[in-house]
Amino acid sequence: MTTTVEPAEFTIVHFDAGRIAALSDELADAVGLDGVDIRIEVDETALLGHTDLASIDPILIRTESGALEDPKKLRHFSEVHATDVLGRHLLRARDRRDADFGDPPADEELSLPHRVAWEVHTVGRLAQKGYPAQRQRWLYSFRNRHGFTDDADQAFETLWSSERLTWAQISTLSDETATKNPGRLDRKPS
Amino acid sequence: MRKLISPDELARDDRFERADMLERISDPRNAQPTDAAAQRRAGRLTPDRDDAPDAARALMHGIFVGEIQALEGAGRTCYDFEVGKGDEDVPFELKLDMARQCWDEARHCEISVKLSDWMGTEIGEFSENTFLFQAACNPDPVLRLTGVNRALEGLAIDVFNTMREFGDLAGDPVLEFCEDWMLADEVTHVKMGSDWLRRITANDKERQKKALEFQRVVDKLFSFGGFRGEEDENPVQLARRFRELAGFDDDEMTEIAELSKEARLEAEEQGRLAREAAATAKG
Repeated sequence: MTTTVEPAEFTIVHFDAGRIAALSDELADAVGLDGVDIRIEVDETALLGHTDLASIDPILIRTESGALEDPKKLRHFSEVHATDVLGRHLLRARDRRDADFGDPPADEELSLPHRVAWEVHTVGRLAQKGYPAQRQRWLYSFRNRHGFTDDADQAFETLWSSERLTWAQISTLSDETATKNPGRLDRKPS
Repeated sequence: MRKLISPDELARDDRFERADMLERISDPRNAQPTDAAAQRRAGRLTPDRDDAPDAARALMHGIFVGEIQALEGAGRTCYDFEVGKGDEDVPFELKLDMARQCWDEARHCEISVKLSDWMGTEIGEFSENTFLFQAACNPDPVLRLTGVNRALEGLAIDVFNTMREFGDLAGDPVLEFCEDWMLADEVTHVKMGSDWLRRITANDKERQKKALEFQRVVDKLFSFGGFRGEEDENPVQLARRFRELAGFDDDEMTEIAELSKEARLEAEEQGRLAREAAATAKG
């Protein structure tokens, strides 16, 4: 298993391709990805933070430089953000490559609630392995897609702390929680 | 105690990182072509945006540091000017209004910290720019009040209303409630600016013109190349109804919308020129 990073040398942002590759190798090992080539393409001309898992065999992660950047230091690499972004994509790649996980739709066909539920389960698993994770940030993201309710918080807890759920379990949990989402507040002046 | 301190002297602990605006403006990535997908991602802040929760978190942190600076600015205005009738003096009642605003801003800081906790943001997670306090450094009290209370607190009305609507649509009762209460205070602060501008410059039209010109400069600067406006691609929308309550007339609001559009077109033109320069440099 080897990670290659494109470009090999950065000229616009202060990133180190070797450091990104090493981090990716470490994460791939931690999440149980064996014998698969990983390629990470960083668009250093883009300051936004869009990323996607473009392929799972070989694994191809495309990312804009903003996603790996330290929000406090312009154009500088953030180990924490890179761990979050690469870790999530690698774990989802591992899920997709595992027949026991099930058969989730292609990324572009995933609904927002399903995608966020899956993300919560990936970040939760990274946290279980000791990687930094912003639990409250992900709880907020989950509530935004499933409702600000006790049911949503309970579902979040299951996704966050479970060791390994299948796609069917994740999507069912998301769907059941979303049906209890009261939706818009729509307060009227009293 | 010294008067008229500079933004560099604002007290912050080591959680805060000051944004280097020169570096931000000269970031070569600003020259990136704006494709349709990028525009959609950066469009109006509504919950259906893919990155909505994170975008709201970042905006909330910007509000938080803005509240700290608004407190510092109102506090300085209480102290920097003597009570009197000269051009560099202010009425005692203006100082009382600024003292009341300090009280409000301090409460907003507390609310913003709690909201940041709620949304999963750490204090200092994002860098801080000091644009707001810079506008509060104007040595002329009328220009300062116009720049801060009408232009910047006016922007706060737009931002809070956008966030309140975001909370409403997302079904987030905490965000919606907090933003609604802060929005009510911002309307009062802008009204203070409108009232004092009218009262102090009632017999000095030249000074009023100068103050309104300063407000236009601040308004355009704080449109951040189209961040605030009335078009769908503007993340923050101009809140006409609340601005009206704060003493803005229709013409003034239309002018702000035009300034924002102008700022967006200028930013796009700068991007185009930067791309051309980058292409030329590549040969």
